[in-house]
Amino acid sequence: MAGADLKLLGTDYQIWKKKQRREAGQYYLLCLVGIFCFFAIWQIAVTAGLANERLLPSPLQVFETIIEKFYQKEPDGNTMLVNICASLQVALSGFLLAVVIGIPLGLVMGWFRLAEAFFRPIFELVRPVPPIAWIPLVVVWFGIGLQAKALIIFFSAFVPCVINSYTGIQLTNRTYINVARTFGASETEIFRKVGIPSSLPMVFAGVRVALGNSWSTLVAAEMLAATAGLGYMIQQGRTLARPDLVIAGMVVIGAIGAVLSGILSYIEKRLIKGQKNESN
Amino acid sequence: MEKKKNSVMNIVCIILPVIAVLCIAIGWIAFSTANPRLMPGPVEVFQRFIRTFTNPVARVILPGHIWASLRRVLIGLIFAWIIGIGLGVLVGWNKKVRAVLGSVLELLRPIPPIAWIPLVIMWFGIGEFSKVFIVFIGTIFGLIVNTSAGIKLVDKINIDVGKIFGGNQRQILTEIVVPTALPSIFAGIRTSVSSGWTTVVAAEMLGAKAGLGSLVTKGWQGNDMALVLVAVISIAAIGALLSVLLSKLEKVVCPWNQI
Repeated sequence: MAGADLKLLGTDYQIWKKKQRREAGQYYLLCLVGIFCFFAIWQIAVTAGLANERLLPSPLQVFETIIEKFYQKEPDGNTMLVNICASLQVALSGFLLAVVIGIPLGLVMGWFRLAEAFFRPIFELVRPVPPIAWIPLVVVWFGIGLQAKALIIFFSAFVPCVINSYTGIQLTNRTYINVARTFGASETEIFRKVGIPSSLPMVFAGVRVALGNSWSTLVAAEMLAATAGLGYMIQQGRTLARPDLVIAGMVVIGAIGAVLSGILSYIEKRLIKGQKNESN
Repeated sequence: MEKKKNSVMNIVCIILPVIAVLCIAIGWIAFSTANPRLMPGPVEVFQRFIRTFTNPVARVILPGHIWASLRRVLIGLIFAWIIGIGLGVLVGWNKKVRAVLGSVLELLRPIPPIAWIPLVIMWFGIGEFSKVFIVFIGTIFGLIVNTSAGIKLVDKINIDVGKIFGGNQRQILTEIVVPTALPSIFAGIRTSVSSGWTTVVAAEMLGAKAGLGSLVTKGWQGNDMALVLVAVISIAAIGALLSVLLSKLEKVVCPWNQI
């Protein structure tokens, strides 16, 4: 690699560029080969009888199950779309609640000493409880409705939102604050116009973690107590000994999680870019 | 004047945390006396805690349950560390491996660890092995991603220096690349411990004979909320303890990570 770079002199630019393109092409080809091999080995292992078909269905069968679930209610009583909507509703309501409460709390905690002194101990007491461990208490308090599940998701998403906005705003450059103060900005103005914008990248990192957490906690919440949703579908697949249904649920959950995090990075790019333009 | 204001501020900042904790305690007591069936009070929880020693749940006292959970996490984590960091180094270092293996890992990574639990239970039952395997599978992807990201971040100039001084591939890897990537590897280890702990609790809640997660389920099914709270508090305490231990360890293993 280094040798190739050293040889690079003016006229060789196009050759170098071609080489780069070829290498990129090779890379993507290898990616495809890897994924293809993964599915091929899986399929061959099942059809050749190396893996028990009752425990590990072939990828084609899983694919068929996914398609089938879109118009068939059996065996868990809901079509795929109903399940997806139920899960999204639960996850997003808990997640949005955590964002709306957690980020302002974290920002205030990181900026004002009095707020930190009061809220920090409470937060530190609640923080180490894994969200899943809240499930029995929340179910006893609220039953198994949307409210209960959203609250469990809220706990899982709340912690990263608070921690990141707290750290993010504490890392604000002292110079910026002093400049604002010199120019006669009031304390609330400094908080609003200097502290919050400078903490945004960290806040977004927290929101991203929160989204991942809420989507994975959702599965646990639904597996333990629900009547619809992807986690419920997986759980039904397990009790009915339908591994194809279980894997289909896992695939759909993984795919939606990836899509959600993609949407979030798009929003992040737009928002943080806007921030830059504003400061210019 | 300014000095006086500061000292008042300091005193307030010492008192406020105490008030906050008192608020929680009073809120808990008030809620539990108003709804004794929904939430046991602190005294009741403490009595239940004592009773886990005199009257063991499932013939195991509380430390036994704690040890059952910890052992599962530890065994799963050790395997995940060895294999995950090894694979992460490979994926980060070699471009071809990254293309072939990295793409498959990217495909499997978005599946949440908890979603693996039903499948693993179907495959291996609810025995010890399946718990360890769930911890393993729930933590390995994060480890691989963190390690390979750290390896990719190594400054190319450092590698070139190693080459100029006649280091072979293995020397460059073990003496330049891995030490540079160590903070990022350690970040992966920290995340793996906390997510492993959460995952094992979830796995035990879905079916186990011993362990803190099984205590939660037992209390829940037996309508024994005090036992649930004892288990939840123990889970939280041990999770907090693990994270403190790890940040101490981080200072020893990679001191250059501190600013």
